[in-house]
Amino acid sequence: MIYLITALDAEARPLCEYYRLKRDTSLPYTLYRNEEIVLVVSGMGRTNALMAVSALLGWRIPEEKDILINIGICGAPSEYRIGEALLIHQILDGDRRYYPDILYSHSLRETSMRCVDVPQSVLSDYPVDMESSPIFQAASRFFKLHQMAFLKIVSDHCTPELVTKEGVIELLRSHVNSLDTLISRLSAVQKQPPLFSTDERNTIEVFKTHFTKSQGSAIDDALTYFRLRNKGEFPPLNPLIPNSKRERSQLLEELIATLTA
Amino acid sequence: MDHPQTQMIRRKFADSQVILIDHYKEVFNRPAQSFAAQSHSKKLILARKEGTFLHEGSQYSDGFDYQQFFYASSIMGCLYDCDYCYLQGLYPSANTVLFVNIEDAFEQLRPYLGKDTLVATSYDTDTLAIESLTHQTSMWLDFADQYENLYLEIRTKSANIKSLKSITLNPRVTLAWTLSPQEIINAYEHATPSLEKRLGAVVEAITLGWKVRLCIDPVIYTEKFAILYTELIEQVFRTIDPEAIEHLTLGSFRMSQSHLRSLKKLRRSDVAFYPYVVRDEMATYSEAIETHILETLLAKATQYLPKERIRTWQRQS
Repeated sequence: MIYLITALDAEARPLCEYYRLKRDTSLPYTLYRNEEIVLVVSGMGRTNALMAVSALLGWRIPEEKDILINIGICGAPSEYRIGEALLIHQILDGDRRYYPDILYSHSLRETSMRCVDVPQSVLSDYPVDMESSPIFQAASRFFKLHQMAFLKIVSDHCTPELVTKEGVIELLRSHVNSLDTLISRLSAVQKQPPLFSTDERNTIEVFKTHFTKSQGSAIDDALTYFRLRNKGEFPPLNPLIPNSKRERSQLLEELIATLTA
Repeated sequence: MDHPQTQMIRRKFADSQVILIDHYKEVFNRPAQSFAAQSHSKKLILARKEGTFLHEGSQYSDGFDYQQFFYASSIMGCLYDCDYCYLQGLYPSANTVLFVNIEDAFEQLRPYLGKDTLVATSYDTDTLAIESLTHQTSMWLDFADQYENLYLEIRTKSANIKSLKSITLNPRVTLAWTLSPQEIINAYEHATPSLEKRLGAVVEAITLGWKVRLCIDPVIYTEKFAILYTELIEQVFRTIDPEAIEHLTLGSFRMSQSHLRSLKKLRRSDVAFYPYVVRDEMATYSEAIETHILETLLAKATQYLPKERIRTWQRQS
Protein backbone atom coordinates (compact mmCIF):
# COMPACT_ATOMS: atom_id res chain seq x y z
CA MET A 1 0.00 0.00 0.00
CA ILE A 2 1.16 3.54 -0.78
CA TYR A 3 0.27 6.07 1.91
CA LEU A 4 0.04 9.67 0.67
CA ILE A 5 -0.30 12.55 3.10
CA THR A 6 -1.28 16.06 2.05
CA ALA A 7 -2.18 18.99 4.26
CA LEU A 8 -4.69 20.62 1.92
CA ASP A 9 -7.66 19.50 -0.18
CA ALA A 10 -6.19 21.45 -3.07
CA GLU A 11 -3.00 19.37 -2.87
CA ALA A 12 -5.01 16.14 -2.85
CA ARG A 13 -7.32 16.97 -5.76
CA PRO A 14 -4.94 16.46 -8.70
CA LEU A 15 -3.65 13.25 -7.11
CA CYS A 16 -7.17 11.90 -6.69
CA GLU A 17 -7.84 12.65 -10.36
CA TYR A 18 -4.58 11.10 -11.57
CA TYR A 19 -4.78 7.95 -9.47
CA ARG A 20 -8.60 7.73 -9.63
CA LEU A 21 -8.94 7.72 -5.88
CA LYS A 22 -12.42 7.42 -4.37
CA ARG A 23 -13.65 9.00 -1.17
CA ASP A 24 -13.62 6.67 1.85
CA THR A 25 -15.43 7.44 5.09
CA SER A 26 -13.69 4.96 7.36
CA LEU A 27 -11.94 7.68 9.36
CA PRO A 28 -13.00 11.11 10.62
CA TYR A 29 -10.55 12.61 8.12
CA THR A 30 -10.80 13.34 4.44
CA LEU A 31 -9.65 10.05 3.01
CA TYR A 32 -9.35 8.79 -0.56
CA ARG A 33 -8.23 5.41 -1.81
CA ASN A 34 -7.97 2.84 -4.53
CA GLU A 35 -6.55 -0.68 -4.32
CA GLU A 36 -2.94 0.48 -4.07
CA ILE A 37 -3.08 3.97 -2.62
CA VAL A 38 -4.63 5.56 0.43
CA LEU A 39 -4.48 9.35 0.73
CA VAL A 40 -5.34 11.37 3.83
CA VAL A 41 -5.80 15.14 3.96
CA SER A 42 -4.47 16.01 7.37
CA GLY A 43 -5.27 19.70 7.58
CA MET A 44 -2.61 22.34 8.13
CA GLY A 45 -0.13 22.40 10.96
CA ARG A 46 1.66 20.26 13.49
CA THR A 47 -1.23 18.90 15.56
CA ASN A 48 -3.47 18.11 12.60
CA ALA A 49 -0.67 16.27 10.81
CA LEU A 50 0.35 14.27 13.87
CA MET A 51 -3.21 13.18 14.63
CA ALA A 52 -4.20 12.38 11.05
CA VAL A 53 -1.10 10.25 10.35
CA SER A 54 -1.41 8.43 13.67
CA ALA A 55 -5.08 7.69 12.96
CA LEU A 56 -4.37 6.52 9.42
CA LEU A 57 -1.49 4.23 10.35
CA GLY A 58 -3.26 2.88 13.42
CA TRP A 59 -6.30 2.11 11.27
CA ARG A 60 -4.33 0.32 8.59
CA ILE A 61 -0.99 -0.79 9.99
CA PRO A 62 1.69 -0.69 7.28
CA GLU A 63 3.37 -3.86 6.05
CA GLU A 64 7.01 -4.35 5.17
CA LYS A 65 6.58 -3.45 1.50
CA ASP A 66 4.49 -0.31 2.07
CA ILE A 67 5.73 3.25 1.62
CA LEU A 68 4.64 6.71 2.77
CA ILE A 69 5.03 10.01 0.94
CA ASN A 70 4.22 13.44 2.28
CA ILE A 71 3.55 15.64 -0.74
CA GLY A 72 2.61 19.29 -0.65
CA ILE A 73 3.63 22.87 -1.15
CA CYS A 74 6.31 24.80 0.73
CA GLY A 75 7.71 28.29 0.98
CA ALA A 76 11.36 28.70 0.07
CA PRO A 77 14.23 31.17 -0.26
CA SER A 78 14.51 32.87 -3.61
CA GLU A 79 17.22 30.52 -4.93
CA TYR A 80 14.50 27.89 -5.26
CA ARG A 81 12.34 28.29 -8.34
CA ILE A 82 8.56 28.54 -7.92
CA GLY A 83 7.19 25.19 -9.07
CA GLU A 84 10.43 23.34 -8.35
CA ALA A 85 10.02 19.89 -6.75
CA LEU A 86 12.27 19.24 -3.76
CA LEU A 87 13.15 15.96 -2.09
CA ILE A 88 13.80 16.53 1.61
CA HIS A 89 16.83 14.85 3.16
CA GLN A 90 16.79 16.65 6.52
CA ILE A 91 13.91 18.08 8.52
CA LEU A 92 14.86 20.76 11.03
CA ASP A 93 12.43 21.33 13.85
CA GLY A 94 13.84 23.52 16.63
CA ASP A 95 16.71 21.53 18.12
CA ARG A 96 15.50 18.27 16.58
CA ARG A 97 16.58 16.95 13.21
CA TYR A 98 15.09 14.08 11.25
CA TYR A 99 16.54 12.23 8.28
CA PRO A 100 14.52 10.14 5.85
CA ASP A 101 16.85 7.63 4.16
CA ILE A 102 17.18 8.31 0.43
CA LEU A 103 18.53 5.00 -0.88
CA TYR A 104 17.53 5.37 -4.52
CA SER A 105 18.75 7.47 -7.42
CA HIS A 106 16.58 10.37 -8.54
CA SER A 107 16.77 13.62 -10.46
CA LEU A 108 15.07 15.88 -7.92
CA ARG A 109 16.82 18.66 -6.06
CA GLU A 110 17.60 17.54 -2.52
CA THR A 111 17.45 19.96 0.36
CA SER A 112 16.93 20.41 4.07
CA MET A 113 13.59 21.77 5.24
CA ARG A 114 12.59 23.74 8.30
CA CYS A 115 9.28 22.74 9.86
CA VAL A 116 7.57 25.78 11.38
CA ASP A 117 4.39 26.52 13.31
CA VAL A 118 2.85 29.29 11.20
CA PRO A 119 3.10 30.39 7.56
CA GLN A 120 6.32 32.35 7.09
CA SER A 121 6.45 35.85 5.68
CA VAL A 122 10.17 36.26 6.32
CA LEU A 123 12.65 34.40 4.17
CA SER A 124 14.24 31.47 5.99
CA ASP A 125 17.61 29.80 5.31
CA TYR A 126 15.82 26.68 4.03
CA PRO A 127 12.45 25.86 2.50
CA VAL A 128 9.71 25.77 5.13
CA ASP A 129 6.55 23.74 5.71
CA MET A 130 4.29 23.05 8.68
CA GLU A 131 3.77 19.29 8.64
CA SER A 132 6.95 17.38 7.73
CA SER A 133 8.29 16.99 11.27
CA PRO A 134 5.14 15.58 12.91
CA ILE A 135 4.52 13.34 9.90
CA PHE A 136 8.07 11.99 10.18
CA GLN A 137 7.71 11.48 13.94
CA ALA A 138 4.40 9.62 13.68
CA ALA A 139 5.31 7.61 10.58
CA SER A 140 8.72 6.48 11.82
CA ARG A 141 6.91 4.44 14.48
CA PHE A 142 5.48 2.34 11.66
CA PHE A 143 7.91 2.66 8.75
CA LYS A 144 11.65 2.20 8.32
CA LEU A 145 13.39 5.42 7.36
CA HIS A 146 13.92 4.33 3.75
CA GLN A 147 10.20 3.72 3.28
CA MET A 148 9.31 7.39 3.71
CA ALA A 149 9.79 10.40 1.43
CA PHE A 150 8.95 14.08 1.64
CA LEU A 151 8.25 15.69 -1.71
CA LYS A 152 7.66 19.44 -1.58
CA ILE A 153 6.83 21.85 -4.37
CA VAL A 154 7.87 25.47 -4.00
CA SER A 155 4.74 27.61 -4.03
CA ASP A 156 6.14 30.98 -2.94
CA HIS A 157 9.16 32.85 -1.68
CA CYS A 158 7.65 33.33 1.77
CA THR A 159 4.67 35.27 0.49
CA PRO A 160 1.93 32.86 1.63
CA GLU A 161 -0.76 35.46 1.09
CA LEU A 162 -0.19 35.13 -2.66
CA VAL A 163 -0.82 31.37 -2.73
CA THR A 164 -4.23 30.49 -4.16
CA LYS A 165 -6.20 27.25 -4.21
CA GLU A 166 -6.09 27.16 -8.02
CA GLY A 167 -2.34 27.77 -7.92
CA VAL A 168 -1.81 24.87 -5.51
CA ILE A 169 -3.89 22.52 -7.70
CA GLU A 170 -1.84 23.51 -10.73
CA LEU A 171 1.50 23.08 -8.92
CA LEU A 172 0.59 19.58 -7.76
CA ARG A 173 -0.85 18.65 -11.14
CA SER A 174 2.42 19.62 -12.81
CA HIS A 175 4.29 17.16 -10.54
CA VAL A 176 2.18 14.00 -10.60
CA ASN A 177 4.87 12.46 -12.80
CA SER A 178 7.54 13.35 -10.23
CA LEU A 179 5.39 11.62 -7.61
CA ASP A 180 4.87 8.61 -9.87
CA THR A 181 8.60 8.21 -10.39
CA LEU A 182 9.29 8.67 -6.69
CA ILE A 183 6.76 5.96 -5.85
CA SER A 184 8.41 3.45 -8.16
CA ARG A 185 11.95 4.29 -6.94
CA LEU A 186 10.93 4.13 -3.30
CA SER A 187 9.00 0.88 -3.78
CA ALA A 188 11.95 -0.72 -5.53
CA VAL A 189 14.24 -0.27 -2.50
CA GLN A 190 12.51 -2.82 -0.31
CA LYS A 191 12.06 -5.85 -2.44
CA GLN A 192 12.78 -8.67 -0.06
CA PRO A 193 10.24 -11.35 -0.88
CA PRO A 194 9.05 -13.44 2.07
CA LEU A 195 11.07 -16.61 2.57
CA PHE A 196 8.02 -18.78 3.08
CA SER A 197 4.65 -18.85 1.37
CA THR A 198 1.55 -18.39 3.52
CA ASP A 199 0.85 -22.15 3.34
CA GLU A 200 4.40 -22.98 4.36
CA ARG A 201 4.26 -20.50 7.24
CA ASN A 202 1.00 -22.04 8.45
CA THR A 203 2.46 -25.54 8.31
CA ILE A 204 5.52 -24.40 10.25
CA GLU A 205 3.42 -22.72 12.93
CA VAL A 206 1.25 -25.83 13.40
CA PHE A 207 4.35 -28.04 13.60
CA LYS A 208 5.93 -25.74 16.19
CA THR A 209 2.96 -26.15 18.55
CA HIS A 210 4.30 -29.62 19.44
CA PHE A 211 7.52 -28.15 20.79
CA THR A 212 8.71 -25.70 23.43
CA LYS A 213 9.28 -22.04 22.57
CA SER A 214 13.04 -22.41 22.32
CA GLN A 215 12.69 -25.57 20.22
CA GLY A 216 10.30 -23.58 18.01
CA SER A 217 12.98 -20.93 17.50
CA ALA A 218 15.48 -23.64 16.58
CA ILE A 219 13.00 -25.00 13.99
CA ASP A 220 12.56 -21.49 12.54
CA ASP A 221 16.32 -21.00 12.34
CA ALA A 222 16.95 -24.34 10.66
CA LEU A 223 14.16 -23.81 8.10
CA THR A 224 15.42 -20.29 7.37
CA TYR A 225 18.96 -21.65 6.92
CA PHE A 226 17.61 -24.31 4.56
CA ARG A 227 15.61 -21.80 2.51
CA LEU A 228 18.35 -19.17 2.33
CA ARG A 229 20.70 -21.81 0.98
CA ASN A 230 18.18 -22.28 -1.84
CA LYS A 231 17.65 -25.92 -1.18
CA GLY A 232 14.09 -25.79 -2.54
CA GLU A 233 11.21 -27.59 -0.84
CA PHE A 234 11.85 -28.39 2.77
CA PRO A 235 11.11 -31.90 4.05
CA PRO A 236 7.56 -32.68 5.22
CA LEU A 237 6.85 -31.34 8.69
CA ASN A 238 3.96 -33.62 9.53
CA PRO A 239 5.43 -36.88 10.74
CA LEU A 240 3.77 -38.53 13.69
CA ILE A 241 4.74 -36.50 16.71
CA PRO A 242 5.84 -38.82 19.51
CA ASN A 243 4.29 -38.39 22.93
CA SER A 244 7.46 -38.74 24.89
CA LYS A 245 9.49 -35.62 25.48
CA ARG A 246 12.74 -37.47 24.83
CA GLU A 247 11.54 -38.83 21.48
CA ARG A 248 10.28 -35.40 20.43
CA SER A 249 13.70 -33.94 21.18
CA GLN A 250 15.29 -36.74 19.16
CA LEU A 251 12.94 -36.00 16.23
CA LEU A 252 13.82 -32.32 16.43
CA GLU A 253 17.53 -33.02 16.49
CA GLU A 254 17.26 -35.21 13.38
CA LEU A 255 15.18 -32.60 11.55
CA ILE A 256 17.67 -29.80 12.29
CA ALA A 257 20.56 -32.03 11.25
CA THR A 258 18.82 -32.76 7.93
CA LEU A 259 17.99 -29.12 7.27
CA THR A 260 21.45 -27.81 8.09
CA ALA A 261 23.57 -30.65 6.66
CA MET B 1 34.32 21.10 8.37
CA ASP B 2 37.69 22.86 8.49
CA HIS B 3 39.75 19.76 9.22
CA PRO B 4 42.21 19.14 6.36
CA GLN B 5 40.97 15.56 5.94
CA THR B 6 37.35 16.74 5.67
CA GLN B 7 38.36 19.23 3.00
CA MET B 8 40.41 16.64 1.10
CA ILE B 9 37.55 14.13 1.10
CA ARG B 10 34.96 16.74 0.13
CA ARG B 11 37.09 17.67 -2.87
CA LYS B 12 36.92 14.03 -3.99
CA PHE B 13 33.13 14.10 -3.78
CA ALA B 14 32.64 17.51 -5.33
CA ASP B 15 29.37 16.48 -7.01
CA SER B 16 27.88 14.69 -4.03
CA GLN B 17 25.02 15.84 -1.91
CA VAL B 18 26.29 17.23 1.41
CA ILE B 19 24.08 17.35 4.49
CA LEU B 20 25.35 19.29 7.49
CA ILE B 21 24.80 17.54 10.79
CA ASP B 22 25.74 18.39 14.38
CA HIS B 23 26.87 14.95 15.51
CA TYR B 24 27.36 11.68 13.65
CA LYS B 25 25.01 9.90 16.06
CA GLU B 26 21.99 11.87 14.88
CA VAL B 27 22.31 10.01 11.56
CA PHE B 28 24.24 6.85 12.41
CA ASN B 29 22.23 5.96 15.52
CA ARG B 30 18.74 6.81 14.25
CA PRO B 31 16.01 4.36 15.19
CA ALA B 32 14.12 2.58 12.36
CA GLN B 33 17.08 2.22 9.99
CA SER B 34 17.34 -0.83 7.75
CA PHE B 35 20.90 -2.16 7.67
CA ALA B 36 20.00 -4.44 4.77
CA ALA B 37 18.46 -1.68 2.63
CA GLN B 38 21.29 0.76 3.42
CA SER B 39 23.89 -1.82 2.39
CA HIS B 40 22.99 -1.12 -1.24
CA SER B 41 23.37 2.66 -0.90
CA LYS B 42 25.91 3.46 1.79
CA LYS B 43 26.49 7.07 2.81
CA LEU B 44 29.71 8.52 4.16
CA ILE B 45 29.55 10.43 7.43
CA LEU B 46 32.55 12.61 8.32
CA ALA B 47 32.93 13.31 12.01
CA ARG B 48 35.31 14.26 14.79
CA LYS B 49 35.76 11.54 17.39
CA GLU B 50 35.36 12.77 20.93
CA GLY B 51 36.40 9.74 22.98
CA THR B 52 39.11 7.14 22.72
CA PHE B 53 40.24 5.67 19.43
CA LEU B 54 41.96 2.77 21.17
CA HIS B 55 40.33 -0.33 22.59
CA GLU B 56 41.81 -3.48 24.06
CA GLY B 57 41.81 -6.46 21.69
CA SER B 58 39.00 -8.91 22.31
CA GLN B 59 38.91 -12.64 23.02
CA TYR B 60 37.71 -13.21 19.45
CA SER B 61 41.06 -12.25 17.98
CA ASP B 62 44.74 -13.14 18.28
CA GLY B 63 47.02 -10.64 20.06
CA PHE B 64 50.16 -12.52 18.94
CA ASP B 65 51.55 -12.42 22.50
CA TYR B 66 52.59 -8.77 22.46
CA GLN B 67 52.75 -7.05 25.84
CA GLN B 68 49.85 -4.82 24.83
CA PHE B 69 47.27 -5.32 22.11
CA PHE B 70 44.90 -2.58 21.01
CA TYR B 71 42.70 -2.01 18.07
CA ALA B 72 42.12 1.46 16.72
CA SER B 73 38.66 2.49 15.68
CA SER B 74 38.92 5.41 13.30
CA ILE B 75 36.15 4.20 10.99
CA MET B 76 32.75 2.72 11.84
CA GLY B 77 31.29 0.53 9.13
CA CYS B 78 32.96 -1.01 6.13
CA LEU B 79 33.02 -0.58 2.38
CA TYR B 80 32.68 -4.33 2.05
CA ASP B 81 29.51 -6.19 2.89
CA CYS B 82 30.27 -9.62 4.35
CA ASP B 83 27.31 -11.64 5.57
CA TYR B 84 29.24 -13.05 8.53
CA CYS B 85 30.57 -9.72 9.75
CA TYR B 86 29.80 -8.77 13.34
CA LEU B 87 29.47 -5.10 12.35
CA GLN B 88 25.91 -5.87 11.23
CA GLY B 89 25.15 -6.80 14.81
CA LEU B 90 27.26 -4.06 16.34
CA TYR B 91 26.00 -1.01 14.46
CA PRO B 92 22.45 0.18 13.77
CA SER B 93 23.49 1.52 10.36
CA ALA B 94 25.27 0.27 7.25
CA ASN B 95 26.60 3.77 6.59
CA THR B 96 30.26 4.51 7.20
CA VAL B 97 31.49 7.00 9.80
CA LEU B 98 34.99 8.27 9.15
CA PHE B 99 36.64 10.08 12.04
CA VAL B 100 38.88 12.67 10.49
CA ASN B 101 40.93 13.56 13.60
CA ILE B 102 43.24 10.54 13.42
CA GLU B 103 46.01 12.66 14.94
CA ASP B 104 44.15 12.29 18.26
CA ALA B 105 44.53 8.49 18.00
CA PHE B 106 48.31 8.93 17.79
CA GLU B 107 48.28 11.22 20.83
CA GLN B 108 46.24 8.69 22.79
CA LEU B 109 48.64 5.88 21.85
CA ARG B 110 51.92 7.67 22.65
CA PRO B 111 51.83 7.06 26.47
CA TYR B 112 51.67 3.28 25.89
CA LEU B 113 54.65 3.03 23.61
CA GLY B 114 57.23 2.28 26.29
CA LYS B 115 56.37 -1.41 25.85
CA ASP B 116 55.93 -3.63 22.80
CA THR B 117 52.46 -2.81 21.57
CA LEU B 118 50.44 -4.30 18.74
CA VAL B 119 47.79 -2.10 17.18
CA ALA B 120 45.31 -3.53 14.71
CA THR B 121 44.34 -0.57 12.54
CA SER B 122 41.65 -2.30 10.52
CA TYR B 123 39.89 -4.36 13.14
CA ASP B 124 36.50 -2.64 12.84
CA THR B 125 36.71 -1.99 9.14
CA ASP B 126 38.94 -2.51 6.11
CA THR B 127 41.07 0.62 6.13
CA LEU B 128 43.10 -0.37 3.09
CA ALA B 129 39.91 -0.70 1.02
CA ILE B 130 39.30 3.04 1.35
CA GLU B 131 42.91 4.15 1.58
CA SER B 132 42.71 6.18 -1.61
CA LEU B 133 39.98 8.22 0.08
CA THR B 134 41.31 8.53 3.63
CA HIS B 135 45.12 8.06 3.52
CA GLN B 136 44.80 6.84 7.11
CA THR B 137 46.93 3.74 6.57
CA SER B 138 49.74 5.93 5.26
CA MET B 139 49.40 8.14 8.33
CA TRP B 140 49.59 5.09 10.62
CA LEU B 141 52.68 3.87 8.80
CA ASP B 142 54.36 7.27 9.11
CA PHE B 143 53.55 7.28 12.82
CA ALA B 144 54.79 3.69 13.33
CA ASP B 145 58.08 4.65 11.72
CA GLN B 146 58.85 6.87 14.74
CA TYR B 147 58.27 4.29 17.52
CA GLU B 148 60.36 1.14 17.84
CA ASN B 149 57.91 -0.57 20.19
CA LEU B 150 54.92 -0.08 17.94
CA TYR B 151 53.80 -2.99 15.78
CA LEU B 152 50.91 -2.68 13.37
CA GLU B 153 48.62 -5.25 11.86
CA ILE B 154 46.72 -4.05 8.81
CA ARG B 155 44.13 -6.66 7.95
CA THR B 156 42.38 -6.46 4.61
CA LYS B 157 40.55 -8.11 1.75
CA SER B 158 41.58 -5.31 -0.56
CA ALA B 159 43.55 -5.74 -3.75
CA ASN B 160 44.60 -2.13 -3.79
CA ILE B 161 48.08 -1.70 -2.37
CA LYS B 162 49.06 1.23 -4.55
CA SER B 163 49.52 3.44 -1.50
CA LEU B 164 52.11 1.08 -0.02
CA LYS B 165 54.43 1.44 -2.97
CA SER B 166 55.58 4.90 -2.00
CA ILE B 167 56.05 4.13 1.70
CA THR B 168 59.31 3.08 3.34
CA LEU B 169 59.19 -0.53 4.46
CA ASN B 170 58.68 -1.09 8.15
CA PRO B 171 59.54 -4.59 9.48
CA ARG B 172 57.19 -4.00 12.45
CA VAL B 173 54.17 -3.77 10.16
CA THR B 174 52.31 -6.87 9.07
CA LEU B 175 49.85 -6.85 6.22
CA ALA B 176 47.29 -9.57 6.80
CA TRP B 177 45.05 -10.78 4.00
CA THR B 178 41.82 -12.58 4.68
CA LEU B 179 41.37 -15.29 2.07
CA SER B 180 38.34 -17.42 1.29
CA PRO B 181 37.44 -19.87 -1.47
CA GLN B 182 35.93 -18.02 -4.44
CA GLU B 183 32.63 -19.84 -3.91
CA ILE B 184 32.48 -18.48 -0.34
CA ILE B 185 33.43 -14.98 -1.58
CA ASN B 186 30.61 -15.13 -4.12
CA ALA B 187 28.09 -16.26 -1.54
CA TYR B 188 29.04 -14.23 1.54
CA GLU B 189 31.66 -11.54 0.89
CA HIS B 190 29.75 -9.03 -1.22
CA ALA B 191 31.61 -6.18 -2.93
CA THR B 192 35.01 -7.66 -2.08
CA PRO B 193 37.85 -8.38 -4.51
CA SER B 194 38.09 -11.88 -5.97
CA LEU B 195 40.49 -14.44 -4.52
CA GLU B 196 42.70 -14.07 -7.57
CA LYS B 197 42.97 -10.31 -7.07
CA ARG B 198 43.71 -10.67 -3.36
CA LEU B 199 46.44 -13.21 -4.13
CA GLY B 200 47.84 -10.82 -6.73
CA ALA B 201 48.05 -8.10 -4.06
CA VAL B 202 49.74 -10.51 -1.65
CA VAL B 203 52.39 -11.40 -4.24
CA GLU B 204 52.95 -7.72 -4.95
CA ALA B 205 53.28 -6.84 -1.24
CA ILE B 206 55.81 -9.66 -0.74
CA THR B 207 57.78 -8.48 -3.76
CA LEU B 208 57.85 -4.99 -2.26
CA GLY B 209 59.30 -6.53 0.90
CA TRP B 210 56.36 -6.23 3.30
CA LYS B 211 55.80 -8.77 6.03
CA VAL B 212 52.65 -10.71 5.15
CA ARG B 213 50.28 -12.92 7.11
CA LEU B 214 47.50 -14.94 5.52
CA CYS B 215 44.25 -15.52 7.35
CA ILE B 216 41.80 -18.24 6.43
CA ASP B 217 39.49 -16.95 9.06
CA PRO B 218 36.57 -17.12 9.41
CA VAL B 219 36.07 -20.55 7.88
CA ILE B 220 32.43 -21.01 6.93
CA TYR B 221 31.33 -24.59 7.30
CA THR B 222 29.23 -25.92 4.42
CA GLU B 223 28.72 -29.35 2.95
CA LYS B 224 31.60 -28.67 0.54
CA PHE B 225 33.85 -27.23 3.21
CA ALA B 226 36.66 -29.80 2.93
CA ILE B 227 36.94 -29.54 -0.86
CA LEU B 228 36.64 -25.75 -0.98
CA TYR B 229 39.16 -24.98 1.74
CA THR B 230 41.78 -27.61 0.88
CA GLU B 231 41.65 -26.39 -2.73
CA LEU B 232 42.05 -22.85 -1.39
CA ILE B 233 45.23 -23.79 0.48
CA GLU B 234 46.57 -25.52 -2.63
CA GLN B 235 45.79 -22.47 -4.76
CA VAL B 236 47.37 -20.11 -2.24
CA PHE B 237 50.64 -21.99 -2.16
CA ARG B 238 50.72 -22.50 -5.91
CA THR B 239 50.78 -18.70 -6.11
CA ILE B 240 52.75 -17.73 -3.01
CA ASP B 241 56.05 -19.03 -1.74
CA PRO B 242 55.32 -20.39 1.78
CA GLU B 243 58.73 -19.13 2.92
CA ALA B 244 57.64 -15.58 2.13
CA ILE B 245 54.80 -15.43 4.63
CA GLU B 246 55.08 -14.83 8.35
CA HIS B 247 52.08 -16.85 9.53
CA LEU B 248 48.99 -18.57 8.33
CA THR B 249 46.02 -18.04 10.65
CA LEU B 250 43.16 -20.52 10.70
CA GLY B 251 39.90 -19.99 12.56
CA SER B 252 36.29 -21.00 12.24
CA PHE B 253 33.36 -18.60 12.34
CA ARG B 254 32.55 -17.27 15.81
CA MET B 255 30.47 -14.42 17.07
CA SER B 256 28.99 -13.11 20.29
CA GLN B 257 25.44 -14.32 20.79
CA SER B 258 24.05 -10.80 20.94
CA HIS B 259 25.57 -9.88 17.58
CA LEU B 260 24.26 -13.13 16.12
CA ARG B 261 20.76 -12.26 17.32
CA SER B 262 20.98 -8.93 15.49
CA LEU B 263 22.23 -10.72 12.38
CA LYS B 264 19.21 -13.02 12.46
CA LYS B 265 16.84 -10.07 12.54
CA LEU B 266 18.28 -8.91 9.22
CA ARG B 267 17.42 -12.29 7.61
CA ARG B 268 20.04 -11.68 4.97
CA SER B 269 22.14 -14.80 5.00
CA ASP B 270 22.09 -18.44 6.00
CA VAL B 271 25.30 -17.86 8.01
CA ALA B 272 23.20 -16.37 10.80
CA PHE B 273 20.88 -19.37 11.02
CA TYR B 274 23.26 -22.29 11.34
CA PRO B 275 22.68 -24.19 14.63
CA TYR B 276 25.78 -22.94 16.41
CA VAL B 277 26.67 -24.00 19.90
CA VAL B 278 26.54 -21.09 22.32
CA ARG B 279 28.74 -21.15 25.38
CA ASP B 280 29.80 -18.21 27.52
CA GLU B 281 27.93 -15.88 25.15
CA MET B 282 30.01 -17.05 22.17
CA ALA B 283 28.37 -18.82 19.23
CA THR B 284 30.49 -21.12 17.12
CA TYR B 285 30.40 -24.57 15.55
CA SER B 286 30.11 -27.64 17.76
CA GLU B 287 33.39 -28.89 19.16
CA ALA B 288 33.29 -31.85 16.75
CA ILE B 289 32.87 -29.63 13.68
CA GLU B 290 35.39 -27.09 14.92
CA THR B 291 37.95 -29.84 15.47
CA HIS B 292 37.14 -31.31 12.06
CA ILE B 293 37.68 -27.89 10.44
CA LEU B 294 41.01 -27.31 12.13
CA GLU B 295 42.30 -30.85 11.62
CA THR B 296 41.39 -30.81 7.92
CA LEU B 297 42.99 -27.42 7.33
CA LEU B 298 46.04 -28.12 9.47
CA ALA B 299 46.68 -31.39 7.65
CA LYS B 300 46.70 -29.51 4.35
CA ALA B 301 48.55 -26.42 5.55
CA THR B 302 51.36 -28.39 7.17
CA GLN B 303 52.21 -29.76 3.72
CA TYR B 304 53.50 -26.26 3.01
CA LEU B 305 54.34 -24.65 6.36
CA PRO B 306 55.85 -25.83 9.64
CA LYS B 307 53.29 -26.03 12.42
CA GLU B 308 54.90 -23.23 14.42
CA ARG B 309 54.05 -20.77 11.63
CA ILE B 310 50.39 -21.72 11.66
CA ARG B 311 48.20 -20.05 14.24
CA THR B 312 44.77 -21.35 15.03
CA TRP B 313 41.81 -19.89 16.82
CA GLN B 314 39.84 -22.36 18.90
CA ARG B 315 37.38 -21.85 21.70
CA GLN B 316 39.08 -22.14 25.10
CA SER B 317 37.40 -24.99 26.93
